[in-house]
Amino acid sequence: RIWKRAPDGAWHCSDVLEGVHESTVRSCAWSPDGKLLADASFDGTTAIWEYSGGDFELVDTLEGHVNEVKSVSWSQSGSMVATCSRDRAAWIWEILPGNDHECVDVLEGHTEDVKMVQWHPFFDVLVSVSYDNTIRVWADDGDGKWPCVQTLTEAGNSGHSSTVWSISFNQKGDRMVTCSDDCTLKIWDASIDLSQPTTGEGHESWRHISTLSGYHGRTIFSVHWSSEGVIASGAGDDAICLFAEENSMVEGPSYRLILKKEKAHDTDVNCVRWCPQNPRVLASVSDDGTVKLWELQGDILD
Amino acid sequence: MPDLTHLSFPLLLARRTTEPANRSSKAVSLFRTQKIEALDETHYQDGYKDGYDDGMVSGKEEGRQVGLKLGFQVGEELGFYQGCLDVWMSIIRLDQGAFSARVRKYMEQLAALLSNYPLSDPENNLQDMMKEIRLKFRVITGSLGAKLGYEGRPTSSEQDLEDI
Repeated sequence: RIWKRAPDGAWHCSDVLEGVHESTVRSCAWSPDGKLLADASFDGTTAIWEYSGGDFELVDTLEGHVNEVKSVSWSQSGSMVATCSRDRAAWIWEILPGNDHECVDVLEGHTEDVKMVQWHPFFDVLVSVSYDNTIRVWADDGDGKWPCVQTLTEAGNSGHSSTVWSISFNQKGDRMVTCSDDCTLKIWDASIDLSQPTTGEGHESWRHISTLSGYHGRTIFSVHWSSEGVIASGAGDDAICLFAEENSMVEGPSYRLILKKEKAHDTDVNCVRWCPQNPRVLASVSDDGTVKLWELQGDILD
Repeated sequence: MPDLTHLSFPLLLARRTTEPANRSSKAVSLFRTQKIEALDETHYQDGYKDGYDDGMVSGKEEGRQVGLKLGFQVGEELGFYQGCLDVWMSIIRLDQGAFSARVRKYMEQLAALLSNYPLSDPENNLQDMMKEIRLKFRVITGSLGAKLGYEGRPTSSEQDLEDI
């Protein structure tokens, strides 16, 4: 469903995109230029819709996954789309002129359902998170293939101990936050461009900075980092939490809770997203069937 | 408690009394025991041989049936992919630019995978090779936007392969 805001501030549903998918549409993503919308469906396909002349039209369908597609993400240039699925793979597609596409690579490595994919805001690097508890980073090797350049695990990298559901980069692209069924959020240093060949010894890696635990009592399904640096999380405990970074001179960055909205919804909060136009407005959706819009008021930095 | 001890004592005594008192009867019973053991052994061997022979016959037949069925399924699926590849190759011969360089590369890779599949000599990683072939095929059809897929037989081939 497409929702539009009327001049008086009220939101209404302007379009319903239907008749294409044969099963649940799990998620969707706007292209960087806002002209295209890609979705992820349990029927195994991704539909690309174009907004033109006040209407949405189906212009392409990406078929390749064997079962439910969970997530879709546009690269910053808009030339590529990544999808991931319960079939344990992530696919990278090149979007070509004339509503055409080609498969660039199939990323295999996860041993379970891949829950979400997200492109880095600047590097030619893709991150995927999975039911196998790991976070994988894939980078262009310059030869048309995208091998996995890093796997962040519980044992090796202070990673999650259960399903990782969601991932978000900060605006600068030097930090990444992930959330999990283990009820924690983890902040990672993502400042190294893993698509560049390393000079000399050792493979530099993204490393764990901080773990935020004890804020949610249930699986945290979604996390999103605003352009102002506020991290929002939504969980199965029906609550939404907001965190901000604190820079200590001595110990480096740490994160504190600014706000916890208990009973933000009647039941599980499935997704939270900051408004691109107004970084103080947050949208949240839930199994209770509602979409809620929130505004963060007051001073964050106190 | 008292009951138990009373029982065990007479049993021990009974055993002792039946033991042969002199050497010759000891030797006889030893000989007898050995004969019995030998008889057991031949019965065992006979039974084993019968079972082995019967098993060999029925096993071979069953193996033949399964092999035919599986061989047909694998052959048909591979034949389907090869057929698609032959059509694509013909198109390329007529029009070099029909497919992008990337897709042409994928087709070449599929051709290599198909020709490497050991149709005569079975190897261990047949499952993996088939998965690779299927994926490469999906990547090509996904890039062509073609709704092509090997439909397979009503009884799923994936499950049969797993049974083996």
